[in-house]
Amino acid sequence: MKIQKLFQKTLFGVFSLFGVISLSTSVLCVYTVDTHLSEEYESNSKDIAKTIADSSVDILLNRDLSALQSLIDQFVEIQSIRYIYITDEEGEFVAHTFVPGVPEEIRTGDRNNTATVERSLPGMGDFVEVGSPILAGVAGSVHVGMDTDLIALKIQRAIGRQVYLISIILVIGVLAAIWFVNLAAKPLGDLLAYAVALARDQDNGANDQLLGRDDEVGQLARLFLYFSEGVQAEGERPVSAGNDG
Amino acid sequence: MRTITRRALLRSGLTWCAVAPWLNPLRAVADTDAGPPAAQMASGVTDTEIVLGMSAAFSGPSRGLGIELYRGASAYFDHVNEQGGIAGRSVRLKTYDDGYQPAPSVKNTLKLMLQDQVFLLFGYVGTPTVTRVLPMLKKFQDRNIFLFFPFTGAQPQREPPYDAFAFNLRSSYRQETAGLVDNFVRINRKRIAVFYQADAYGRSGWAGVRRALKHYGRQIAGEATYRRGTKFTASMRRQVEILKAAQPEAVICIGSYAACAAFVRDAVNLALQVPIANLSFVGSENLLKLLIHWTLTEGRGNVEAHTRLLVNSQVVPSYEEASMPAVKEYRDLMRRYNPQPPLELLKEPYLPSEYSFVSLEGFINAKLMVEILRRLGDRPERSQLERTVFTVQDFDLGIDERASFGPDRRQGLQQVYYTVVDEGRFVMLDKWEDRFA
Repeated sequence: MKIQKLFQKTLFGVFSLFGVISLSTSVLCVYTVDTHLSEEYESNSKDIAKTIADSSVDILLNRDLSALQSLIDQFVEIQSIRYIYITDEEGEFVAHTFVPGVPEEIRTGDRNNTATVERSLPGMGDFVEVGSPILAGVAGSVHVGMDTDLIALKIQRAIGRQVYLISIILVIGVLAAIWFVNLAAKPLGDLLAYAVALARDQDNGANDQLLGRDDEVGQLARLFLYFSEGVQAEGERPVSAGNDG
Repeated sequence: MRTITRRALLRSGLTWCAVAPWLNPLRAVADTDAGPPAAQMASGVTDTEIVLGMSAAFSGPSRGLGIELYRGASAYFDHVNEQGGIAGRSVRLKTYDDGYQPAPSVKNTLKLMLQDQVFLLFGYVGTPTVTRVLPMLKKFQDRNIFLFFPFTGAQPQREPPYDAFAFNLRSSYRQETAGLVDNFVRINRKRIAVFYQADAYGRSGWAGVRRALKHYGRQIAGEATYRRGTKFTASMRRQVEILKAAQPEAVICIGSYAACAAFVRDAVNLALQVPIANLSFVGSENLLKLLIHWTLTEGRGNVEAHTRLLVNSQVVPSYEEASMPAVKEYRDLMRRYNPQPPLELLKEPYLPSEYSFVSLEGFINAKLMVEILRRLGDRPERSQLERTVFTVQDFDLGIDERASFGPDRRQGLQQVYYTVVDEGRFVMLDKWEDRFA
């Protein structure tokens, strides 16, 4: 199907507009999902750290450390949480989930700092570590490490789904635009062909459908016919006036 | 049709008056002889059997522990059942496999308590499994379901709030680690490192070593961990390197046999030439089997090099000590019955040990269990279990220590034994100085 030149520009405009909308929506979506999910994961991890910290008080003060280990082992089964460690008030590691041992960076760092930090642990990956003090810090602190690669993967998946949806809408939108443009372009093409035929005095009489239309195309067709008939009448009139004179 | 006369009525009335007072006692005696109706019996007890529930590792790298514990207990239960059982009831073990993993052990326990309605829980294996089961016993405390003689020396079932739901026979890891530390310090090996399983069991032993060293004003010299379920084929080089860097004079391992054997193999290969101690839970014979097999097939055939620095603590005497009545009985019954692991639970082939510390522990556990069930009498009730256990005072199990229980003593035995490898088998260690100084 041949698209008229006038409409090619329109189509290009529509396509560009859709593209800009899709791109900006995707960027906004990526930013929103990334920010929200990152915040969500960090917030959840902080909640987990706080829960462990609150539960640890009694265990640290009254019970065997195996109960504490059992507690953190249950939390580390949650996806995206890769490690948990608990230090006492002197900074000694009293429970942790590291294998084959506590990484050097954590062992030599500030063990009771509960601020959120980003860590890159050799052989393990990149992590965001959140902390929570136990008994306002006087009994130690709990630290939870989230795997940033795993979180990034989850965020990518979520974003991927959004972008996929937007892409589908873009394709459907462009196809719909082409269809609508063609809907308008076809009668105009017919009108153009009719006008050319009239100009060549080749009216084949097959234009009832075009002349019968009640829209602008029909009106233009009838106007062309009127002008054409006027020109023909002008051409066929006898030159009596000149003779009279 | 027979006519009822006034005289006949009077005679019947007099007869009834004379007999009636005797009827209830007679009925009671008859009921006792026949045993209580099934509906009135405690869960897990029928006219013919008492069912005990056991969830343990029958598959995976630690399956040797569950299987050997089961075999030892079965040998004694088979013997008792052959002798007529307990008040005419045989003892049956209802077993499930948890593969030494907490989640299946919780599921199995629910099944045993609610579906199978066993009389009590018996012979659970492992700290990570038992620590998850304990809260469930508290949840169902109104049913008086107790856990008897778990194969773990961890503290949670020995301390509030869960001590009220379990009875331990073996010594604790705290006692085992304290004994090892005391002896190492005594022979001037004060820099002690720990290799442990990264879970509740490992932490329990780690805490025991830390506590014992604190007593001497010292700290753990170095530590390395491994994941539960690690196989013998896994490399422990990284762990050995970490501990080697700490320059220890002794290493205490808190793990199961596959991982600990792998550690010993790599430690010797990487020239970490210090005494390596293991706790009773390790499963000494299985550890030794793996080391010997590896040395003879892939190593240089020098078994001595890989085993001479081993020292394993035990919570039962050596199965070689046939002078002890219980050990002699154990050896006789193991030979006579040669109990096999539950076939329906076996997922991979297993070659049982003729004798082992683990099966001897299972045997002694069963021996005391039977005594407690006997003391419950003809009508065993769960509600009477705790009171009955507390009647066990200075009970002679046939070993060199007597078992006692009480409200403040929920662990029957307190002794720790130390063994070393001599000519390819574990024997009692006489003098630490001669062996390791």
